[in-house]
Amino acid sequence: MFNTSQFNPVMQSPLHHFGLAAKQEAANSTKGVWANEIPLLGYISLRGNAQNTAFTKAAKQALGTALHTQPCSMATLSWGSILWLAPDEWLLICDRTQRPILQQSLETSLEGIHSQVADNSGGFTSVLLQGKNANDVLHHCTVYDLNALAAGKVVGSTFGKTSVFLHKQDDGYKLIFRRSFADYIWRYLERSALTYGFGIATLTSKAG
Amino acid sequence: MTSKDFSKSRIAHKNSRVDLSKPLNFTFDGTNYQGFAGDTLASALLANGVKIVARSFKYGRPRGIIGSGAEEPNALVQIDVGARTTPDLKATQVELYDGLVAGRTSGWPSLTFDLKSIGGKFSRFMPAGFYYKTFKFPVKMWPLYENIIRRAAGYGKSPIEADTETYDHKHHHVDLLVVGGGACGLLSALLAGRSGLNVLLVDDQSELGGYLLSLPYMNIGGLNAPTWTTKIVDELCSLPNVTLLSRTTAFALHDMNMIQAVELMQDHLPHSARNAALRRERMHRIRATKVVLATGAFERPLVFGNNDLPGIMTASALTTYFNRYGVACGNNVVIMTSNDLAYQGAADLAAAGIKVTLVDNRENINPEWAAKFKQLNVQIYVGYGIAEAVGSTTVEGVQLVKLDALKNVVTGSGPFVACDVLASSGGLSPTVHLFCHDGGRPQWDESRLAFVVSANGRADSGIYCAGAITGVFALQEGLAKTKDTVAEMLNSLGKTMGASGLTLTTDEIAVTPARHIFHVPDGKNGKGAKAFVDYQNDVAVTDIQLAVRENYRSIEHIKRYTALGFGTDQGKLSNVNGFAIAAEALGKTIPEVGTTTYRPAYTPVSFAALAGAHVGDTFEPRRYTAMQNTHETYGSGTTELEPVGQWMRPWYYPKLGEDIHAAVNRECLATRNSVGMLDASTLGKIDIRGKDVREFLNRIYANSWTQLAIGKCRYGLMLDETGMVMDDGVTACISDTHFLMTTTSGGAARVMTWLEKWHQTEWPELEVYMTSVTDHWATAAVVGPKSREVLAKLCTDIDLSKDAFKFMDWCDGTVAGVPARVFRISFSGELAYEVNVDASYGDYMWNALLEAGSEFDITPYGTETMHVLRAEKGFIIVGQDTDGSVTPFDLDMAWAVGMKKPYSFLGKRSLARSDTSRTNRKQLVGLLTEDPNFVLKEGAQLINSSDTTPPVPMLGHVTSSYYSAFLGRSIAMGFVIDGLKRREDATQNTVYAWADGKAVKVQIVSSVFVDAEGARHNV
Repeated sequence: MFNTSQFNPVMQSPLHHFGLAAKQEAANSTKGVWANEIPLLGYISLRGNAQNTAFTKAAKQALGTALHTQPCSMATLSWGSILWLAPDEWLLICDRTQRPILQQSLETSLEGIHSQVADNSGGFTSVLLQGKNANDVLHHCTVYDLNALAAGKVVGSTFGKTSVFLHKQDDGYKLIFRRSFADYIWRYLERSALTYGFGIATLTSKAG
Repeated sequence: MTSKDFSKSRIAHKNSRVDLSKPLNFTFDGTNYQGFAGDTLASALLANGVKIVARSFKYGRPRGIIGSGAEEPNALVQIDVGARTTPDLKATQVELYDGLVAGRTSGWPSLTFDLKSIGGKFSRFMPAGFYYKTFKFPVKMWPLYENIIRRAAGYGKSPIEADTETYDHKHHHVDLLVVGGGACGLLSALLAGRSGLNVLLVDDQSELGGYLLSLPYMNIGGLNAPTWTTKIVDELCSLPNVTLLSRTTAFALHDMNMIQAVELMQDHLPHSARNAALRRERMHRIRATKVVLATGAFERPLVFGNNDLPGIMTASALTTYFNRYGVACGNNVVIMTSNDLAYQGAADLAAAGIKVTLVDNRENINPEWAAKFKQLNVQIYVGYGIAEAVGSTTVEGVQLVKLDALKNVVTGSGPFVACDVLASSGGLSPTVHLFCHDGGRPQWDESRLAFVVSANGRADSGIYCAGAITGVFALQEGLAKTKDTVAEMLNSLGKTMGASGLTLTTDEIAVTPARHIFHVPDGKNGKGAKAFVDYQNDVAVTDIQLAVRENYRSIEHIKRYTALGFGTDQGKLSNVNGFAIAAEALGKTIPEVGTTTYRPAYTPVSFAALAGAHVGDTFEPRRYTAMQNTHETYGSGTTELEPVGQWMRPWYYPKLGEDIHAAVNRECLATRNSVGMLDASTLGKIDIRGKDVREFLNRIYANSWTQLAIGKCRYGLMLDETGMVMDDGVTACISDTHFLMTTTSGGAARVMTWLEKWHQTEWPELEVYMTSVTDHWATAAVVGPKSREVLAKLCTDIDLSKDAFKFMDWCDGTVAGVPARVFRISFSGELAYEVNVDASYGDYMWNALLEAGSEFDITPYGTETMHVLRAEKGFIIVGQDTDGSVTPFDLDMAWAVGMKKPYSFLGKRSLARSDTSRTNRKQLVGLLTEDPNFVLKEGAQLINSSDTTPPVPMLGHVTSSYYSAFLGRSIAMGFVIDGLKRREDATQNTVYAWADGKAVKVQIVSSVFVDAEGARHNV
């Protein structure tokens, strides 16, 4: 018989099967494109009416910041980031250990207020893309005009035959996408990047 | 194989772009030749004296190189061998490299003797449309005719090996795209680049300069053309906001100024210099705020008798081969022209000591040129035309006739002039293709004798035109107007132009009017030598005239009847001549006849470039669940996957030596007798919240959700507006304001969009939000009589007993130490639990369940077993047992429709339509064969009798059919007209399933084959 103490739950990120951690090295100038998965972050989908002050007040109380309503904007906070996805939809990204606390805090604040809080941590992952050809490789993958992607702007656009959310991160980009498409997106990214030299970069910050 | 010496056709031309210090070896049609760096295959063949490069399509006539670029109709060659081989490239566009292997694509058995040429002698019996006229009878002979025609028509061969090279796409967003790297294109890019615009210039040649590369003695602003070009290109290269792409052909212009261009990245390099890590071709998808089309023009040849003899080419091609490639195509040249444009090249040839004779169709020629040619000692036949060229396999001379000063008729005879190469110029035809791809039309300009486009006529949509495309053929005028056009374009963007340091005057001789002539008359009234309009399709003047006599009036119809302008050259040389000749035959003006439609692609594009990175494992998105690794390595590691939408799902898990039938039988029996497990993570999952969620579901689903208690689940059918089933699934009540909906695996995105659409457009007053959580949850369905025991080993905080955790309940708890949401639902009729965890734990949870179930020989099963198990219970699969024309009543699922709900639901009103509500529609029933081992074909037609003498009324078809190992016999479901009534009537319950030429007797039965009372899951 099993007993509870025998259980040793193990998480796997959507790109687990590529074994990226074993391949990573410090980014250098020998390759034009460097990427890696920022695995197992916490993702919370939040929906609500930005015109409803009860909602915005409660959300601000839980998040420690007012929800931004500027289309395609994002906020970077001590605990993670908030991505504007639609006029009534935001994606909160945080450390996985922070997720239950943040979600509970939102649920409590928003009690009785028309809104939606949904844990989507198993459903998303993030990839950091850097290097002198990061811009080029993305132009092979997405129709979005990256010259128009200012820092602090987040957009959803095409990636091959599927889609990603995309924003600038440090001197590169961060891609956020669904678990089930992760294999395709990584392979497409790798295929597109090969002509520039493609390396797996050691992550310098955990939340990216 | 023979090797030829360095040809005496090659001259050391100080301005040629060919590097005589870099010889290159190549073969054509099995013979070794030598060319030089900078050559095209065409220029190298001409330098080696190769005149016959092809045989014509219909008549097998010998053909030579006519043009020097994309307009070439004849010199279609097969380049390279093996996986890299490419058919039907134009030799004029193939850059020579060391070791190039080129083959002919026509001529059978050889280029020097073609069997078709014997037929060609009887060519008067092969008029336009002769296929339709000749090969119609007898009908049964058509397959033979077709075989011969296909072989005759076939040009090169596609590779049969897999492509070993890679291709990709790149997206660009620029302020300005300039198409064409000739003088006006370069000037446009420079002026825009100086003003700070983000500029991309594409050009199809190996180097920039356009026709300036063919006119090196032209003087621009005090510099000769090569120096001027270098100066401009150098400045362009110094501007960080300007990108130049050579070997890049813009082949399509779409709405919103989206231009597609293909770049040939490595095909010009010898194999040893190619980098396998780099692409062979790249497709550029360019979105440009403004576009300048500086695409230039092609020279039209004049049409005359035997004008297809090898050795006959356009005057501009003759000039280009001489000045750009240092190739004298002959030593005794005749040039016929109707205009001034051929004179400069003729002068260059004459100045190099080549014997040149001019035939000018006009009564009055340009006095400046006349004086110059007198100095050069060149004879000019003024007011003459060529009635026909003479020669057997190559041109040997021309027969001249005197032309009327005004009308295009012969007024007298002329001399015979011997020559070894013959060139003609009928004026220029602007390359207006891109301008016309998204609906633009060119206008006929009689003063220019050309279909032209306006420089700023499409400025509203951001499209400007510069240079020869606008009908401005003189360089100085072209450059001046380009400057004006770019100024206007920049002004519209609020920019000012900086043109300092640019002197744009040239030393050109002023142009005098051209003669309106396309087909040079021979005075023989249609009985003379064949005069070709379209070389690639063997369309002669007489074919166009015949089409008109046979009452074709629209140029689009004349095109299709004669094949004018078809083929890989798309009529770049022939179309305007064809329009003019048709106009004359129709007694109309050229603008009245107009042009055919210009469609993408401008030049052929390889499938590989179009596919780009959408090949191999990135051909289509393949969605995987969190358990994919375990599925792939399970057991013998031979798990078969099946695509379901974009998902790749395990289909079955064969043990070594098992086929699909053995594996599925084993999986089915294991599940019904002990315990099986299915990865159900792919089902769509939508989290829905808000105080109106019950009402929202009432409207979305056919059944009612008002009473569903917290902790309970319910199956629902989703209908479209026409009352037809579009999706189904189980939805759970988490709280009064929170439900979790599941959808079919393939339908999730469609359902999500559907919910948002109805909420946003019709019922915004309902307080609900929905979010897709499909990817968040990993789901293992533990199925079978032992499922409770398996789960109990991993889950101690849920009371799994029969009465505490009932069928259609859900519960939160932990499974194997992971927070889990467990549903007691069943798609098999067995006791079953669907365990949902955060997908990060999916693989862990699946393996924990496998381990816990090992004592019961827990058996993972795939979609095939899932299908059998559900069919045994008569459960439908939306999309297999439904096809968008099926109501719930057709499925005998009235129980899933709540007609008494106070507010309507989607599809309700349609269910009352006379056609949807009639009782004798096709209805889903169970089907059993007499032979229990005979498995019906899915899709088999159901008919009333084994007599299949037509007409046979079709009653419906088989939708699902399997062998049930549990029942030891085959089972099936299908639609039968009035099937529900016929099922109950022993005199009516027999039908026949027609497939593979056999009608098999089938009995209509209930579609619930196993456990109709539900005893198995109710434990």
